[in-house]
Amino acid sequence: MTNYLTVMFAITIVYLAITERFAVYARLLGIQGFILFGITLSELHKVSIGDLLFVSSETLFFKGIVVPYMITRIIKSTNVVKVANDTLSGFYELLFIIISLLISIFMAYTLKNPYINTVFLTIAFFTMFSGLIIIVTHRLIISHLIGFLVLENSVFIFSIAVGNEMPMLINIGTLLDIFVGVLILGFFGMKLKPNIDELTTLKD
Amino acid sequence: MKGFALIIFAALFFPGVILRAKSIVSGRKGPGIFQPLKDLNLLFRKDSVFSSTSSIIFQIAPTIGLASVICAMLMIPFADEPAFFNFDSDFVYFSYLLAAGKFFLIISALDTGSGFEGMGANREALFSMLVEPAFFILLATLAMFTGYTSFSDIFTRFYITQSDFVLIFSILGAYLFIQIAMIENSRFPIDDPKTHLELTMIHEVMILDNCGFDKALIHVSSYLKFAVYGSIIYNLSVPADWNIYLQISLFVIIQFVFAVIIGLLESFRARNKMGKNPHFILTLTAVSFIAFVIIIIITGKIA
Repeated sequence: MTNYLTVMFAITIVYLAITERFAVYARLLGIQGFILFGITLSELHKVSIGDLLFVSSETLFFKGIVVPYMITRIIKSTNVVKVANDTLSGFYELLFIIISLLISIFMAYTLKNPYINTVFLTIAFFTMFSGLIIIVTHRLIISHLIGFLVLENSVFIFSIAVGNEMPMLINIGTLLDIFVGVLILGFFGMKLKPNIDELTTLKD
Repeated sequence: MKGFALIIFAALFFPGVILRAKSIVSGRKGPGIFQPLKDLNLLFRKDSVFSSTSSIIFQIAPTIGLASVICAMLMIPFADEPAFFNFDSDFVYFSYLLAAGKFFLIISALDTGSGFEGMGANREALFSMLVEPAFFILLATLAMFTGYTSFSDIFTRFYITQSDFVLIFSILGAYLFIQIAMIENSRFPIDDPKTHLELTMIHEVMILDNCGFDKALIHVSSYLKFAVYGSIIYNLSVPADWNIYLQISLFVIIQFVFAVIIGLLESFRARNKMGKNPHFILTLTAVSFIAFVIIIIITGKIA
């Protein structure tokens, strides 16, 4: 089961790289949340039942429901529906993504050891690079936020890769989730720069 | 030769099923399932007309296109019966046979000296070039998965491997082969065979000067190509050691479903903007690359 979910997760990353509509970004992040929920359930069989319940429900609730919902609300309230026109073309972004996948597999094999699942490690590196690529190639701050969410998902997969041996890392991943929730709440609740021009120019 | 005969049988009904699916979905009475065959019959009875500025290349290109597809058909196995032409790395030969047919159509379009046809040839060459990595990476994945490099061996041993990843590769393979077939045959979302504006055409503008018998040959090549890709999808979906009658029934069902899927995709999907086509095709390469990475990991080819 985990194999299927991992492949599906990697495919969502490819589609994240080429999409241009924020509604699709929100949907893909929601799908990633559900996939991560499935991976959590099937992989973390050595942790205590309390930890498993907490982590899986947090994944489902935050990543699968709350974060996509908040992004959709931000899109509606700011009326920013597409990435900026001067963003790097999806073709080149996809090329970078393919190269990053190649780099990921070499990095994962460099760090190969019996305690870490190599497939997870590869996908985690791939997700991390994809998040970074989305951040550096897009101009709108919402794109940066989505890139950060992808990075955050990569941290979560890293934590699952070593989760059975180092359960504390999962809690750190969960903390990052909560931090992202607060970040988005700040962005959404405080109506931070709802104007399109300001969103375009606000880089830092 | 059962596979060869079945591909011809499937090709006869393939365009009709696509048309019927599109008509039913859009609520029209639409043409009958045999309408494309009647159109072909009409075209076969007409003579070809050649421009005085075109050369022999323009006259032989449709025939070479059809010949290349027929040769490619002979390389597709059926059930546990190996293909007529069967040797190591034959999928490379298969791909370049189809490419040779396309190459002749492209140079015949350039031979007419028409600006429109040159534009269509340019687009067709670009999209074919971009889809090639997806095809080869996918076949390389299947070759590494089974440990063999010919179509017959790959498909015969695909289900014998008993790996957990069989289902993943068959789903990914079927998805990618459907998309590759759509691109190779210039259908949605890359091209719209029904468009009437030359500037937005790809394949249709390339064959604007072909008529009568030659145009019928080009259509037949396209129908056969669809059935060839349908046959590859069938081989990837059904274990080779099943009962032969069941295999034949499943072959017909899979070709039928493949044609209906194309009809549905063409009914519900918008055509891509021309500039978006390279992204779309590269996405297929990226997806097949993911499959390749997984096979590298599970076979431990790099360490």
